[in-house]
Amino acid sequence: MNLAIPDYRQLSPAVAARFERIRQRPVILSIQDLEKKFGTDGATHTAFDNVSLDIHRREFICVIGPSGCGKSTLIRIVAGLDEATGGAVLLDGHAVTGPGPDRGMVFQGYTLFPWLTVRANVMFGLEMRGKDTTTAESEAREWLDMVGLGKFEHAYPHELSGGMKQRVAIARALANEPRILIMDEPFAALDAQTRCQMQSYLLQIWKKVDVTILFITHDLEEAAYLADRIVVMGANPGRVVEFIENPVPRPRSAAQFLTAEYLSLKARLEELIHPPTETGEEDRLPMVKLTNVGDDVE
Amino acid sequence: MAHRDWLGLKMELPRKRRLLLTLLSFLAPVVLWSAVSYVPWLWHPLVRITAQGDVDYFAEDMDVPRADFDRELAKTRAAGTTPPEGHRVNPLYLPAPHEVARAFYTAFTTEPRLPNEPWLHESLGHSIRTIFWGFVLSSLVGVPLGILCGSYRFFSRLQEPFIEFFRYLPAPAFGALCVAILGIDDGPKIAIIFIGTFFQQVLVIGNTVRKVDPALIEAAQTLGASRWRLVRRVIIPASITDIYTDMRILLGWAWTYLIVAEVVGTMSGITYFINQQARYRNFDNVYAAIMMIGIIGFSTDLILAWLGTVLFPWKRKTRTASGRPSLWSRLRPKPIPA
Ligand SMILES: Nc1ncnc2c1ncn2[C@@H]1O[C@H](COP(=O)(O)OP(=O)(O)OP(=O)(O)O)[C@@H](O)[C@H]1O
Ligand SMILES: [Mg+2]
Repeated sequence: MNLAIPDYRQLSPAVAARFERIRQRPVILSIQDLEKKFGTDGATHTAFDNVSLDIHRREFICVIGPSGCGKSTLIRIVAGLDEATGGAVLLDGHAVTGPGPDRGMVFQGYTLFPWLTVRANVMFGLEMRGKDTTTAESEAREWLDMVGLGKFEHAYPHELSGGMKQRVAIARALANEPRILIMDEPFAALDAQTRCQMQSYLLQIWKKVDVTILFITHDLEEAAYLADRIVVMGANPGRVVEFIENPVPRPRSAAQFLTAEYLSLKARLEELIHPPTETGEEDRLPMVKLTNVGDDVE
Repeated sequence: MAHRDWLGLKMELPRKRRLLLTLLSFLAPVVLWSAVSYVPWLWHPLVRITAQGDVDYFAEDMDVPRADFDRELAKTRAAGTTPPEGHRVNPLYLPAPHEVARAFYTAFTTEPRLPNEPWLHESLGHSIRTIFWGFVLSSLVGVPLGILCGSYRFFSRLQEPFIEFFRYLPAPAFGALCVAILGIDDGPKIAIIFIGTFFQQVLVIGNTVRKVDPALIEAAQTLGASRWRLVRRVIIPASITDIYTDMRILLGWAWTYLIVAEVVGTMSGITYFINQQARYRNFDNVYAAIMMIGIIGFSTDLILAWLGTVLFPWKRKTRTASGRPSLWSRLRPKPIPA
C-alpha cells in the first residue's frame, strides 16, 4: 500500500524560518563524537559510538530509537552519572565531569524522596545550593504552582498519583534553574490519558521557562508532538541514523494529527524505527497452533 | 472476594481477623497448658500422698510415681493393712496456669529470704538497666559505624572482614575476660551484651544502608548534593526506617544475651531471682519471672513499633489504604475558608 505522503523535509516557509532562528541561538549542550563501551578489555560491548549533537538554547530535542540503542546511557553521560569512553560533552563550552545542578534530570521512576513532603522535595536542590529556608520555601511554592500542585505541598509522595509525582519531579528539577532539563522516558509508566495530559503540561511549562529540554522516548507520537528536532538512533551499535526537523508548526494540538506535515513526519519515523525486512516479507512471529479451543475461536 | 479468603497468598487480612489470630496465637498454648494441668488423665504422672497408711517410706505431701503408689496399694490390700491415700498431680516443675497467674502478684510481694536478696522488682530493674546500657553503648558506636560501612566502600572493606570474623566468637566466651578486666559487678555484664549486639549491629545496619535505592542517590546528585551531604540528607533518611526495624530486632537479641550476661561475675538481676526461686522450689515464681521477661520485651517492641509510625509519617499507610486519617492530616491546620 502506498499513500502519496509528501516528504517531511519540504518544510513550510514559516517552519523553515523558525529552525533558521533556532540555529542562530547559542549552543547550550554540545555532544562531540561520543562513544561508550561496556566491559573490560576482553569482551567489550559498544553501547553507541559516533554520536554528535549540538543543542541550542530553548530547543526541545527528542531522542528516539529501539530498545538497547543506548539512549539512557547517552543521557546518563550527559547528566554526569556515567563516564564516556570517548568523545566529550560540553555544557556552555565547559566539559562535563560529574553530576551537577546545571543539568536537571527527570527519571522514569519518579525518584522523589519518600521521607520529604512534596514541598521539601522541591526545596531539596535549592537548599543544596545554599538558599535559606524562607527563600527556598517560597520559590518551591512558586514552582509547585507552576505545575499545578500548590495544594499538595504538604502531602507525601506516596499520597500522589503517578502523573502528580512526575510533575513534582519536574518542579524539583526546574527549581534549580538548570541550563538543560534531561528526561528519560518520563511518561512511559503513565496510562495513555495521563501521558497526553503530561505532554501538554510539559509544553506549557517549557513555554514559560527558559529551559532547554533533552527528552528520551520510544513513543513516535510523543516525539512528534513535543520535539523541535528528533534524533533517531539505531541499534547494534547505537548510532544516530537521522536528525529530523519537526515540520509540524507550533503551537501543537491534537487537531494537527491529520495534517500532511504530521503524517509525513510519522511516516518517516515509522520507516526509520520499523524498517521493512530485507526479503520484503512481513516481520511476524510464526503461527502457534492452538489446542483445545472451542468452536467459537476462529 | 479477597475478604472471604483466609489463606490468600501474601494478602493482608482485615483488622478483625488479624486481632482474632493474634489472640489465638496466645490462646492455643494456654489452652494446651490448662488441659495438661486440669484434666487429670492427660498426664499427672505422680501421686501426692495425703495419708501414709501402712507404707513405711511414704509421707504426707510426698510425690511418688504412680506405679509405685499402685504397687504399694495392691500390697497393703493383699496384706490387709491400711492402704495409703493420695491424688494424682503433675510434677512440681509444672505449676497450673492459675498458680503462675497468682505468682505474678505474689512474686512481687514475697519478702526475700536472705537479708541481702533483692525484691523481684529490684531484680527486674537491674536486668533492664543492664540491657539498656549494653544496647545504648553498642548503638552509640555501632549505628554510625554501620552507616559509614554502608555508605563508603572504604570503611566497609576496612571494618567488615574483622567484624565478620569476630561475630562468630560467642559472646559468653568472653565472660571470664570481662570479669578479669571489668570486675565482678555490672561492668562485665554490660560488656557481654555489648559484644553480643555490636558486631551484628554493624553488619546488619551496613547491609541495610547499602540497600538504599541508587536512583535516589543519583537524583540527589543531579540536584547538587555531594559527599557528606549525600549521606546526611539522602542515605540516612532513606534507610532510617529500616535501621529502626533492625534496631528493634537487635534489641530482641540483646534480651537473649541477658541470662548469659547475668551469670557472669556475681549472679544478678532476673537470673538471680529465677535461680533462687528454683532453689526454693517456687516454680510458679520461676514461670512468672520468665514470662515477665517476655512481656517486657514484647511490650517494648510494641511501643517502639507505635513510636515508629509517629516518627516516620511517610511510612504510614494513606487514608485510603487504612481507612483512617493520618496523624499528619489531623494535625495539619485547617484551610481558612475564603
Ligand atoms: N552497566 C552496564 N553494563 C553493561 N552493559 C550495559 C550497561 N548499561 C547498559 N548496557 C548496555 O548498553 C546498551 C544500551 O543500554 P541503554 O539502557 O542505554 O538502552 P536504551 O536505549 O535506554 O534502552 P531502553 O529503550 O530499553 O531504555 C544495551 O545494549 C545494554 O545492554
Ligand atoms: Mg532506557
